[in-house]
Amino acid sequence: MKYQSIIVEDLQVAAEFLKRFCEKSGVIDVAHHFLNAEDALLFLKDNVIDLIFLDVEMPDASGFELLDQLVYTPQVILTTSKTEYAYDAFQYNVTDYLKKPFTYQRFLEAVQKVSKKTEQLNGNSEQDHMFIKTDGKLIRLHNDDILFIESMGDYVKFITPAKKYITHNTIKNLETKVNPQVFMKVHRSYIVNFTKINDIQENVLFINGNMIPISKTHKSGVMQKINIL
Amino acid sequence: MYNEDQKIAFYFSPELDTAFLQELYGEDLQQAELIFESTMQQLRSELPLVESRFRDGDTAGLKKVVHKIKPLFGYVGLNETMQEFASFEAVCAQAATMAEAESGFHHIIAISLEAIKITENEIRRLKQYNTQ
Repeated sequence: MKYQSIIVEDLQVAAEFLKRFCEKSGVIDVAHHFLNAEDALLFLKDNVIDLIFLDVEMPDASGFELLDQLVYTPQVILTTSKTEYAYDAFQYNVTDYLKKPFTYQRFLEAVQKVSKKTEQLNGNSEQDHMFIKTDGKLIRLHNDDILFIESMGDYVKFITPAKKYITHNTIKNLETKVNPQVFMKVHRSYIVNFTKINDIQENVLFINGNMIPISKTHKSGVMQKINIL
Repeated sequence: MYNEDQKIAFYFSPELDTAFLQELYGEDLQQAELIFESTMQQLRSELPLVESRFRDGDTAGLKKVVHKIKPLFGYVGLNETMQEFASFEAVCAQAATMAEAESGFHHIIAISLEAIKITENEIRRLKQYNTQ
């Protein structure tokens, strides 16, 4: 498999260096290089790619701000010259974290992680359930029982018709672990089971009487996903 | 490192972190030349910004440009210079006024000029090697 990627990097030398590694690997195509997050975001609104090599500190907007605005979730390899973003990297569930300048060997390790995660994500599309840890035990929740998932800071709340379950996790992390054929992120604080949506009005949707906001950046993704006759 | 046809060894200059450069470029001295040249171009375009941010008293702007320049030295094996830039970046982040960053500023300008000399020399050597 060849991965379609983009590089978002304000340092030309770093981008050239990375492009060369991508070519050498034979498994990564670089569709574009962007010098800032804003241009990359415009491209990502109309194009689907598998992987972003993303610098963290750039002029105007940071790499994390770009991730906040993405409608879908490609894999992300952070490229930075600082080591202090480890916590954020975890929060954003990035695939790997490369400190510039990095060696080809280190780059290949990151590519292997991308490959493993792809396999894992493909496996997710067949899953009809998930286990969550709550009240000291693991509980099986069927996809069909979950109405939506709501962020509560470092915790999330799974809403089912019968009960609410709170577990230690983040929406960002869950986004890549839930079955994408059933669930989608509609707001930075909400993932919904889109088979349960009752109606949509402007920038909100309703599931079993619960009103859920749809963010501007996720609106087009939601409209594409639902079956409008 | 060896030229495949003529088997003449190329050794990076001892002022550079040669082991690290070997890891970065392996046998690919064409890429090394390309990256060294790009680094040089970018250093030349970014260093004047360090000076202007300093003259303007813009500590946040100075920190940003120092942060951007910092990894450039790594690509040419000047890892100590990169570390010095990292330390100065931390100084800029803490500095309330430009006076607190002044001695660091003069130091990084001096080591940058030295880095440019070393890099130019290495580009010359790489070009000579790659065209032989």
